[in-house]
Amino acid sequence: MTQHDMNRRQFIKVSGATAAVAATGIEGILAARQAPAYAQGTKLHIVRWVDFIPEADVELKRQAPEASKALGAEVVFEFINANDIQPRVTAAIQSQSGADLFFMMYNWPQLYQNALVDVSDVANAVAKDQGGFYGVYKPSFQVGGKWMAMPHSIVGNAVAYRKSWLKEVGANEYPKTWDEARKIFAALKKKGKPYGQTLGHTFGDAPTFAYPLLWSFGGAETDASGKKVVINGKGAIESVKFMQAFWKEACDEGGLAWDDTNNNRAFHAGEISASLNGASIYIVAKRQKEKIKDDKGEPMYLDIDHGALLPAGPAGQFPLYFSNGHGLMKYSKNPKLAKDFLKWMHTKANFEKWFQVCEGYSVAATTEWEKHAMWGKIDKPLRVFRTAARNTRIFGHAGPATAKATEAFSKYIVVDMYAKAVQGMKAEDAVKWAEGEMKKVYGG
Amino acid sequence: MKPPIAGGAGGATGLEVALPHPPPARRITRALESEGLLAAMLLTPAVVLLGLFIAYPFVMGLWLSVTSVTVGNVGEFVGLRNFVKAWDDSIFQTAFQNTFYYTFWATLFKLVVGMWVALLLNRHFKFKRLVRASMLLPFIIPTVLSTFAWRWMFDPTFSVLNWSLYTMGFIVTKLPFLSDGTYAMWCAIVVNTWRGMPFFAITLLAGLQTISPELHEAASLDGANAWRRFWHVTWPLLKPVTLVVVVFSIIQTFSDFQLIYVLTGGGPANSTHLLATYAYQLGVGAGLLSEGAAISLFMFPVLFAVVWIQLRYLRRMEGA
Amino acid sequence: MVVERRWKRWVYFYLPMTFLVVITLFPFYWMFITAIRPDAELYKSWRAAQNAPFWTLQPTLAHVQDLLEKTMFLRWLWNTFLIAIVSTMISLVCGLFAGYALARLRFRGAGMIGTGIFVTYLVPQTLLFIPLADVIRNFHLGNTPWALILTYPTFLIPFCTWLLMGYFKTIPKELEECARIDGATRFGAMVRIIFPIAVPGILSAGIFAFTLSWNEFIYALVFLSSPERKTVPVGVVSELIRGDIYFWGQLMAGALLGSVPVALVYSFFVEYYVTGLTGSVKG
Repeated sequence: MTQHDMNRRQFIKVSGATAAVAATGIEGILAARQAPAYAQGTKLHIVRWVDFIPEADVELKRQAPEASKALGAEVVFEFINANDIQPRVTAAIQSQSGADLFFMMYNWPQLYQNALVDVSDVANAVAKDQGGFYGVYKPSFQVGGKWMAMPHSIVGNAVAYRKSWLKEVGANEYPKTWDEARKIFAALKKKGKPYGQTLGHTFGDAPTFAYPLLWSFGGAETDASGKKVVINGKGAIESVKFMQAFWKEACDEGGLAWDDTNNNRAFHAGEISASLNGASIYIVAKRQKEKIKDDKGEPMYLDIDHGALLPAGPAGQFPLYFSNGHGLMKYSKNPKLAKDFLKWMHTKANFEKWFQVCEGYSVAATTEWEKHAMWGKIDKPLRVFRTAARNTRIFGHAGPATAKATEAFSKYIVVDMYAKAVQGMKAEDAVKWAEGEMKKVYGG
Repeated sequence: MKPPIAGGAGGATGLEVALPHPPPARRITRALESEGLLAAMLLTPAVVLLGLFIAYPFVMGLWLSVTSVTVGNVGEFVGLRNFVKAWDDSIFQTAFQNTFYYTFWATLFKLVVGMWVALLLNRHFKFKRLVRASMLLPFIIPTVLSTFAWRWMFDPTFSVLNWSLYTMGFIVTKLPFLSDGTYAMWCAIVVNTWRGMPFFAITLLAGLQTISPELHEAASLDGANAWRRFWHVTWPLLKPVTLVVVVFSIIQTFSDFQLIYVLTGGGPANSTHLLATYAYQLGVGAGLLSEGAAISLFMFPVLFAVVWIQLRYLRRMEGA
Repeated sequence: MVVERRWKRWVYFYLPMTFLVVITLFPFYWMFITAIRPDAELYKSWRAAQNAPFWTLQPTLAHVQDLLEKTMFLRWLWNTFLIAIVSTMISLVCGLFAGYALARLRFRGAGMIGTGIFVTYLVPQTLLFIPLADVIRNFHLGNTPWALILTYPTFLIPFCTWLLMGYFKTIPKELEECARIDGATRFGAMVRIIFPIAVPGILSAGIFAFTLSWNEFIYALVFLSSPERKTVPVGVVSELIRGDIYFWGQLMAGALLGSVPVALVYSFFVEYYVTGLTGSVKG
């Protein structure tokens, strides 16, 4: 470390602090409210996933210096692959050191509850101000009525499909029920344009398909107490039987090996007619319209639309989405700063900038944003995400989304139940296998 | 003091003959004193580093496996419950069998192909250096990245292998490289073989070069064909080196993690899960640190047996 | 020399050799093609009429350029290199000393310490990184290169010790005794007589250790957090895999560029290396 470097660093710290004091406007008010200024060199470290939409990260990086200025402490973002967050969180908790705020997905706040700070004050204020959180957050982010992490955004998914191809087999819009879907995609598979779905060990696309399928047929992992395993019932067996037929008649059978990326590429190459995914299929097709074209040489994105949700089964339709947020770690030396940052991030003005960049790929955690003007401006296929988060469930249903539910999720029991069945296991046996594994998890 | 002899083994044998040996009794008493001290001194850096960085995690790992610790929660002592739970778990059983299957076949292939390559590289031909260096490439490239390339080659939709076989007319439908359990396991074995084979090849090549060509000539004068020459002359001399490589390879293959994690994540339907990937998924994915540790520790007895054999072998070598 | 016929040389040598070289190098060719393939070709159906997966008609350097400009790839390369070199050096010194002591010196507890060193090699990293994070915090090493430089030796030292121990056992004891009669100390004899002979063995242990550090992923992921401090495998995976979108061209360019430096080191040392291993294993 040279002398020069040291000086430069000190200079930045000093100038940051003075700037914070001198700041006016919203940031100034925020800064002025903090009673003690943070010690010089205080740093807030936030680990997030790398967003599927690169611009979303760019926007946060742009906001970092603004936040630093407003809060009088250095705000640093680190973006890592979604798959790599859990090892980081685990090591951080066990060694009681690491980032102050970690990105939380699904029901992680349940899993890490004893290592997280109660952020109810921030969460309740934002909820009150912005129309309340979507239902999914209560089971996944709340423990005993306290918010163990701050809800941030939901990444919805929907079935992206090729309009013209569905028309070819007589479907003017996306099928509403699984039975209709089976007929349509069976016809398309005969033409070499199957439905694409992964049943591999993936983080997103496989569970967000398998759990909703189970629920839509009335199946569930446990009863409402979360203690009694009820998967071995009519609903689950029916759903598995349906999947066996659907797989054979309508799906690309390579899907057993797909990860979250395969369906995107297969779709863009015109190998599949539809697939459950986040908005990334559409957004990438639009951004690379010069490169991604359909069989007629036209930009493919013009031919893509999103079906509202997965089709409904006999019991209804219930999606599983990424319910994201930020967890404040107990070991953090700057819990107040972290909370101030969360407040800052969730002020309407700041959140709005990020929200708009996402174009519906990520929607807000609170309902008020459904009314935002952005929804009128973005492309029609992206508008399905406006209200998509309303019926979301989290795994563990009908019981609470406890650490047990996460264990079952991590073992891919529900996904593998379907994977085993489509590979030739009898539906009843596959469900029985799942029941056996679940009983070991839930202990009953 | 005389200048050091840097001439290598040739000089050594010459000197050996000329040396008078000191009386054994005096030599041992004198040596024992300084040997203990010197040994302590020489071992200190390694022991300190390992002690600082591995002793605590290691003991912690053992402790975890007999407790009910989950992430962020201090658990309590539960005896062998985690081991019993794992043993009773069908996914664990699958992973356990897979690990043996994967290790056995991958090691066997690496040995056979590696030996073959070594025998070929031991001959004289043009561009020998270039070929030798290029054969090492798979070993160099970070596993995570090379496995991504392989995964793309096995891609269910775009596999270049399927395309070639299809274009050449060998197949009419795509082969389910990673989407069928059996295929997926074999794909993993192929990738592991590809990655680990250079280590075998180069190490065995080194062993081959110590075998004097005269031995082969003598054998061929006796009318032995190539196979018999290999079996009766080369193989016995190569056995010690083979053992060392196989031991290294078994340890690394048995506890393999990155390759499977990237290639299949243990799917489809757990057909490629190994103990390491399953332990990781439970420990990190579900936060069950104690159960993850217990599953990892199932590897220990097997690996320990391998090391024990190796150590015994080293000791026998010393005696010889 | 065993004489052989021309056709035999073809059947038993050239054909299998070519076959094996092609299999070994094909994935590299594939990475190379992917790295220079324009994105548009990625999204072509595999049944498309003019599909040419084995080459590309419009090669592009855009991915390489992106990799170098939009990510800190060169920085990662330098970090990886530095960390691998230093941790290899440390491990070699420790391994040399320990290997010599275990192979040559007779002292109480030798068997126990020897076994102890090897046993640490057996503990899977997937288990170790969590408690190790605790150690890193206690020593205040988090997010510094030292976190890796000091932890990599935990799996490199056993390996180096093991390899070098075997090597030392093949060096005739008389060599040392001779030097000692001439008045050299035991330590002096070790450093001046034994180590020079062991150079090939040291090189081979060093090269393997270097490769292992170069490849390491999980410690690098967990112990480093600033983007400018990351290593190649972690940096590339963090920045070029965005959820369900892979930047294939850049990923493969990164894989290739990331292995070039090691390839250079290897081809430089490969001959040494062959002789090195020979020494360590002949019984």
